[in-house]
Amino acid sequence: MLSSNSLMRSLRQSGQLPVHDFLAPALFAPSRRCISTTTPKSNASAAAPNPDGPASAAQKPKRKPLTKEQRDFLSSALRVNQAGELAATLIYTAQKPPLVNAHPHLRPLMSHMYEQEAGHLRTFNALLAKHRVRPTALYPVWSVLASGLGWGTAVLGRGGGHGAVETEIGTHYNSQIRSLLEMFEGWEADGYEVGPELRDLVGTLRRIRDEELEHLDHALENDAKQAQPYWLLTSVIKAGCRGAIWASERV
Amino acid sequence: MAPTRAFATRLALAAASTTKSTRSPLTTTACLRSNSNSSRRAYHSYDHPPPPGAFNSAERQILSAAYGHVPEHGFTHKALSLGARDAGYLDISTNVVPDGPFSLIKYHLVSKREALAPRSAEIFNAPVGGAADGTTPDAAAGARGQLLTVPERVERLTWERLLANQDVIHRWQEALAVMAQPSRVPASLHELALLSDEIHHLAGDIAVDPSWYTKRASLSTIYASSELFMTNDRSVGFGDTRAFLRRRLDETGSLAGALGSIGQWVGFTASAGLNVLRSKGARI
Repeated sequence: MLSSNSLMRSLRQSGQLPVHDFLAPALFAPSRRCISTTTPKSNASAAAPNPDGPASAAQKPKRKPLTKEQRDFLSSALRVNQAGELAATLIYTAQKPPLVNAHPHLRPLMSHMYEQEAGHLRTFNALLAKHRVRPTALYPVWSVLASGLGWGTAVLGRGGGHGAVETEIGTHYNSQIRSLLEMFEGWEADGYEVGPELRDLVGTLRRIRDEELEHLDHALENDAKQAQPYWLLTSVIKAGCRGAIWASERV
Repeated sequence: MAPTRAFATRLALAAASTTKSTRSPLTTTACLRSNSNSSRRAYHSYDHPPPPGAFNSAERQILSAAYGHVPEHGFTHKALSLGARDAGYLDISTNVVPDGPFSLIKYHLVSKREALAPRSAEIFNAPVGGAADGTTPDAAAGARGQLLTVPERVERLTWERLLANQDVIHRWQEALAVMAQPSRVPASLHELALLSDEIHHLAGDIAVDPSWYTKRASLSTIYASSELFMTNDRSVGFGDTRAFLRRRLDETGSLAGALGSIGQWVGFTASAGLNVLRSKGARI
């Protein structure tokens, strides 16, 4: 499961073009995307009750209290996701005018992607407020950097940085989903059940990840060929994106 | 009776330290510290049982009994030993509570903070978890606050929390002095932060942008200064304190409003200027 996933990822990162040529017809059918974190475990866990020892089942509560590590993981995950989606909406906002000016045919696509990103941001804002997680303290910094990135790349060309960002984001969501599923597995092995709250969270993360990868497809479809001269820019943006994720998880 | 008490003390000690063997007071202290840190606010789950609280059962027994002696004896060792005796422990068993008087202060802070949630449900006439279904925050806020706005609810809850101090207010300056000792400052500030977060949460504030920090910081400042004001307030029903609290909150509100207006103006002017340039054909 892990190996097939990493295979998919390396395919996506190194040999993007064949994959995307292959997937190009499926652009508006995001449900057809299937990255391996999606299916097997959730079905298994939903089906399995908890055949643990009767004594422990009688004593223990049905759901285990979250440990400190788990709560820290969940809060940093939600925090970094909110920061990411905030940056995404700002990138699109800043990118749209110059880009649409230069290539008017991209207008509906940009609006569509912006709507999705804004929806993601609303989702995570609600989750943060509900679970009482603090937003990242670097919020103003990310706002400025994201707007600058969006505007800068749009002025340079067709938003070359965009595909780079979405690649990192897809990987990032996948690793979160994987950690959550590992957590669920641990609980189920001990005979606890997983509440709907966290199941919904995994569902939300999967949906959002698929939409982000759909954006990656759009980006590559529209500027993959021109992105070649920008390899330096792309790798700088990727590194910056990883750095931002790292920082937002902590601060 | 004495053997029973000794046994109870040992039990309490065993509960406080996690191992079977006897521990030095130092280890017990360290153990309790890590325990109290577990109340750190992070990812509030509605599905899973809450993590253990700041105090274990023995501490809670002693502290709640000792708390009854605070109005007379203050936040002191004396109150603690009287409380331990009331709870059926030996006087010496107060070393279960390693921070001494500070634990008593912390007990006051924690228990009053935790009492705020049921109290707010009472005031705003809706279930405690009103904001629990975060999917419909507007509906929850509407059901809870009736016609109250978020700042009004913040004011009301802060006032409730201040009123919870009234039984011990004549001893509170001593407590503030203890809390201001350098080694106690981090824990005290942490409690203050938890309190202002709790108040904003109960008031149904769902903003998660940089104002999250400024709101909590300003409420913490206002709460701390109102508390200080209250220690010298001799007016009936602490009316002066409430007026003080309202003035401070209004000042913050108008400052925030002014800053917001300035920000809005700057943003509008910048985007208008940008659009003028774009309309002139600049490729930006």
